[in-house]
Amino acid sequence: MAAVIRHSRWLPIVAVAVYVAVPVLCSIYYATFPGGSFSLSAYSVIADDASLASAASRTLLIAVFTIVVLVMTLVPAVVAIHLWAPRLRPVLEILCTLPLVVPPIALAAGVVALLRWGAQQGRDSAAAQISQFVQHPDLPLILVGTYVVLCLPFTFRSIDAGLRVIPLKAMVEGSASLGAGIWGTVWRVVLPNIRGPVLFAIFFATAVCLGEFAIAATLNRETIPVWLFTVSNTDFRASIAIAVLLNLTTWVLLLVATLSAGRFSALGRAKRTAPELASDDDAAAGPSAGATAGPVTAGTPAGATTTPQKELR
Amino acid sequence: MSHTVTPAPPAGHPPSVAPGGAPAPGSPDRSGSAPPLRKRLRGAAAALRSPAVVALAPLTLVVGVFFVAPLAGMAIIAFTVEADDGGTALGLDHFLGLDSHVRAVRNSVLVSVVGSLTAALIGALTAFCIAQIRSKRLDSVVAVFSSVLANDGGAPLAFSFIVTLGNTGLVYGMLGLDAIGFSLYSWQGLVVMYQYFLIPTMVMVTLPTFVGLRKEWMEANTALGGSRTTFWRRVGIPIAMPALLGGWILLFGAAFATYASAAVLIGTGGFPLVPLSIASLLGSSLGAGGQSAAMALGVSMVVIAVVVLFLFNRLQKRSARWLQ
Repeated sequence: MAAVIRHSRWLPIVAVAVYVAVPVLCSIYYATFPGGSFSLSAYSVIADDASLASAASRTLLIAVFTIVVLVMTLVPAVVAIHLWAPRLRPVLEILCTLPLVVPPIALAAGVVALLRWGAQQGRDSAAAQISQFVQHPDLPLILVGTYVVLCLPFTFRSIDAGLRVIPLKAMVEGSASLGAGIWGTVWRVVLPNIRGPVLFAIFFATAVCLGEFAIAATLNRETIPVWLFTVSNTDFRASIAIAVLLNLTTWVLLLVATLSAGRFSALGRAKRTAPELASDDDAAAGPSAGATAGPVTAGTPAGATTTPQKELR
Repeated sequence: MSHTVTPAPPAGHPPSVAPGGAPAPGSPDRSGSAPPLRKRLRGAAAALRSPAVVALAPLTLVVGVFFVAPLAGMAIIAFTVEADDGGTALGLDHFLGLDSHVRAVRNSVLVSVVGSLTAALIGALTAFCIAQIRSKRLDSVVAVFSSVLANDGGAPLAFSFIVTLGNTGLVYGMLGLDAIGFSLYSWQGLVVMYQYFLIPTMVMVTLPTFVGLRKEWMEANTALGGSRTTFWRRVGIPIAMPALLGGWILLFGAAFATYASAAVLIGTGGFPLVPLSIASLLGSSLGAGGQSAAMALGVSMVVIAVVVLFLFNRLQKRSARWLQ
């Protein structure tokens, strides 16, 4: 009887695992077994379809810009609230949490409203030109900007937690006493010490750029997900084939992101003394960390990994 | 939203104020008050060059331009009503005109309620079982995978479900689902598909709570003569309740906001949902009527999302009290 109860605990877990695995396996089967025998012919679309190549290069370009803008804007801002402006923390926290709950389609609607307003200001007006410039088909900066915003809730939390567990003030003071400027210190001392959170931000941002559909589709910019949707009308098997690749890539990216957020900060923590560690841990992981800490402490990959990392190392 | 604008002024001004502060103001009649003014301007310029402002400015600019401004623009259009004489006024007309979208709202609510309840039950049960097994390795693996899957839910998800449970899908044929009248391209299909990211979200949110239920509490309960039922009725459920409720609310919000997978699965026709209606209003209409209706729907979605976040936060804080 006890054994039955013990094993029945696994039942829901196995059921959910099966439910998660089956659609992926079906997709792989559908993509690679057309007509019952193994063939990778569906993947010939990669070589044959130039629109996929251009969608892919556009998506990657957007991803690179998103990562650069995200890291260059977020890291200094979080360093600033840690060093000089702790009072602005709640404001920044709310600002960085809101994109989590604002539906992307609502943000897309707002962006469309703004761009149309700009375009209506007359052909030669600055607003119209800016509106056109940020929608440029090769590099739609409007997508870069909105994707940075979409990444903020998770990456802010991660970098904030990363800065909490390093002696930031001592680093900056020590570095300054040796004659370094503040930005040199951030670049050469702080950044290497928050490798984990920064790597998390990079991988997470890539996953967002590869997966985001609502805004790109609304603005008619053909990124990979939008290409998938377009091509599914003409060549369904090819779109499944690419969807499988995209899905698995996203999983790997998010997996690496989650693991890197955990592992590097675990290393950083191991170097520190026990009592400090305990208090920092509570501050970083506890949902009491701030007024709006709720969804993210429980909800982010970063928050989720604060406990498991020791196991995964 | 007024709070969010507070950091903007210092960030927006540096180019205009900093150069103006250095040279003296030209007009002679101002020279009497010039020193304090100049000093003040110089002080402001110095403050603007302080590292804190320099460090916060880029992010403030990005958030302001790509988040605050679009949402503000959306709200302005949604609440602005064109009067007959060509003027404009604030009003709720666009919201009152939404009754043509009642079907979309009803569908969205139906799918979100059923989907989030199902996922909350299955997710909580799964998290409970995972916690009962008491393996740290399993806990950590589940934490990682659930956070990965919770972020899933784009266009590829819909494709994999079309292949699996669509009318010619592999599993659809195998299980003979057409016999029970199941269709992927209806609310049932949406509910089933949403489980893919809703269940992992629920597991992610509630697992820490179930893991945090301490063995000592159970032992104390037994020592005081309580049974297993007493423990769950008096200790376990009350402690887990805020997390369960919060998780369910979060799932409702996530289901309500989902666009990409629903758009790929349903398209613009057949089964209207609020996000799909926004997209088709934006896409089809250059006429102002459609656009302002889209903005009104968008504002409603944002309001629902903010309420969800607020409630989730309150509940999460309550449940956090017990978990250290």
